[in-house]
Amino acid sequence: MSQSSVAKKASSRRSGIAKDNAAPADVLIVGAGFAGLGTAIRLRAAGIDNIVILERGDEVGGTWRDNSYPGAACDIPSNLYSFFFAQNPQWSRGYSGSGEILGYIRHLVEHFQLQGLIRFGHTVTGLEFDAAKGLWTASVAGGRKVSARAAVMAQGPLSNASFPDLPGIERFKGHKIHSARWDHAYDFSGKRVAVIGTGASAVQIIPELVKQAAHLKVFQRTPAWVLPRLDYTTPDWSKAVFSRVPATQGLVRGAMFWAHESMAFGMIWNTPMTAMLQRISSRFLRRQVKDSWMRRQLTPDFRIGCKRVLMSSDYYRALQRNNCELITWPIATLSEKGIRSSEGLEHQVDCIVFATGFEVSKSGTPFPITGLDGRRLNEEWARGAQAYKSVNIAGYPNLFMSFGPNSGPGHNSALVYMESQIDYIVRGIRTILKQDLKMLDVRAEAQIRYNKSIQKRLSRTNWNSGCKSWYLSEDGFNATMYPGFATQFKRQMKVFAEQDYRAL
Amino acid sequence: MNIDLDKMLAKVRSSQWALADIDWDAPGAELITAEQWPKLKAFMSDLMWIEHVGARGFAAMAKKAPNETLKQLYIYFHAEEQRHANTEMALMRRWGMLDGEAIPEPNINLRLVIQWLDQYSDDMPLEVLGSVIPMLEIALDGALCKFLLDTVSDPVCHQAFARINDDESRHLGVGFHVLEMQGHGKLYQMALKAVATTLNPKLMLGILAYLPLLNRMRDNIVTMGLKEESLYSAMQKYERIGGRTAAGRRNPWFQIISRHGRLVVNRKHLYHRPVDALVRLTDHYPRRLLRPIPAWVKQLTYKTTA
Repeated sequence: MSQSSVAKKASSRRSGIAKDNAAPADVLIVGAGFAGLGTAIRLRAAGIDNIVILERGDEVGGTWRDNSYPGAACDIPSNLYSFFFAQNPQWSRGYSGSGEILGYIRHLVEHFQLQGLIRFGHTVTGLEFDAAKGLWTASVAGGRKVSARAAVMAQGPLSNASFPDLPGIERFKGHKIHSARWDHAYDFSGKRVAVIGTGASAVQIIPELVKQAAHLKVFQRTPAWVLPRLDYTTPDWSKAVFSRVPATQGLVRGAMFWAHESMAFGMIWNTPMTAMLQRISSRFLRRQVKDSWMRRQLTPDFRIGCKRVLMSSDYYRALQRNNCELITWPIATLSEKGIRSSEGLEHQVDCIVFATGFEVSKSGTPFPITGLDGRRLNEEWARGAQAYKSVNIAGYPNLFMSFGPNSGPGHNSALVYMESQIDYIVRGIRTILKQDLKMLDVRAEAQIRYNKSIQKRLSRTNWNSGCKSWYLSEDGFNATMYPGFATQFKRQMKVFAEQDYRAL
Repeated sequence: MNIDLDKMLAKVRSSQWALADIDWDAPGAELITAEQWPKLKAFMSDLMWIEHVGARGFAAMAKKAPNETLKQLYIYFHAEEQRHANTEMALMRRWGMLDGEAIPEPNINLRLVIQWLDQYSDDMPLEVLGSVIPMLEIALDGALCKFLLDTVSDPVCHQAFARINDDESRHLGVGFHVLEMQGHGKLYQMALKAVATTLNPKLMLGILAYLPLLNRMRDNIVTMGLKEESLYSAMQKYERIGGRTAAGRRNPWFQIISRHGRLVVNRKHLYHRPVDALVRLTDHYPRRLLRPIPAWVKQLTYKTTA
């Protein structure tokens, strides 16, 4: 089905959308970020229109709505970090900023006429399956309930930001900002500012803040491998060519896909390419940072790829500005006026920026999910999350996930993975509706078999090579990453093995 | 000495303190006598530098730690030794011993050790630093701090060293634990590895910097009135604690360092002739050959806030 026919049909079926406490919808989707909206678009394309999207915010965009800090941008090229079925020839830069990505997401809503499906201000507090009726019911904060035959968890892995559990955090009387909840009203000029964290958000924030703040103190716990980000302004001719001949953008996207795919050799597994990437990163550091002690402070002592590789061409330069200071002493405690580090100094600041990342759920669920016979997903996942092909979980029929366990990429665009998950989800839901099933439940043995293989493959990857990262749970279980090429992931998601499911 | 490293790390994390926890303007500074003052100034400067050099040693050990807990402990110990150096500098400031904002000048042997640490310490195997550091801690910190508290009655000094000694007791606990940990394995393999390591020219340079430093420090503190015996008894303590288990005794580096300790203790031994000569020789070391002071040294500060 073409996109235009989807759009036309969509407007004519708008009346079919489920209302609270009304007749159940066909599909309920939690979250109106890339995954939720993408799923809705593809469901519509498959002729499934009775969809409701529950969004806790008052705006679409998920991660890209929340991460609006100065310098926020994607570290995957925009041509690759967008849906294949909705390419944007107008990207202004190689690596677009969060504002432009959010603009693209808003454009998706408008172009595919998704507005009517979304219920803003609907914070899901629980999901429960009724086996007799074959229905999922979402409890929404405020007491409302929304039911549907299938549910899609598209709340995103990077959606819950919280201040880290640092001793004395409640004592600090200055201003506190989390990178994912930026306070745009705060004026940094003339202020003494501390940034805690040196991960993917921090390396984007620091070069911007250092231009505004009077003094910037960067507190680093673990240095990361940094590679230069080869960003550029898109020339007008390229936008024109992409607009007139969309296939050319497809070709560029394809080239970018394979270039990133080749990085898997060095990033995921320990190969000669791993050593080569480390050498490139070390050389970049040596060229950018003249002082040997600072270089030592910025040199990681784990294998490249074990943690997320950072892409920045201006981070090292920013750290060396006169008004910037890199502090690698452990943080002892926060005090009323600032941060006390273990070498005994109190670093007094007006504002602390916490670029400390997200709570990535590796063993829990964002809200209680109750499946067959009252089973609770967070209890089953207490020792590490697992699913079948990252999408389905045995005992939780008709429930689908985007970015479920072991679907994270370390080397390629998350959206490539997401698209193949979405297509798989659409096939699953179509099966339920077409065959009028009460339940489509993945078999426990198929899930066990799948995870055994995943964990075996993970044990040979750089992620499991000994460093501590958000990819791993406290006891070292990897429930986040997919141990292979994006091509392998796509291939596995193309096959919908009906024998692995129980259909009732 | 078998300790639970995870519990130790939790203890270290919960025992952090800052210079701001001490009232540096409290009365008591006037208790330093005019006679004490010049000697104490030189003594404090040496003490501060030893803490700082120890800090850099821990930084190198953090890179070599065999597990995450030990690595974290060494990261903290690096910071804590720096805190001790900063505290001692703050005491010097309280007693009017600092020349404005300037860091006290290190003697030439300290400069050489700093230079060696900056260039080569990260290349040293853990067993070398892991065996030397407890010796430095026990011999210099143990003896020197005791001497200081016996001679100085300023209550702020006592208050500061109560905190420093608390930290040091944890450093020593972990230090001897690691010393024993590295005494496990086949003896001939450990011995062969130790021989190979001592043939490393980088280590040889380190030994050449370390030996005269020890003798110079001994001379300096004896001039200040510390009884040589108390330094020696502290060094013997290293042999006693480190050698109380079979694993500790099997560690070749423990054997090398404790035997060296015996030589240092025996004032009449021929060992002292070449080493004392080295001390005199280093006095003539051409200053222009010294590399610029590394950035990590410039992090020293007497300030409580920044």
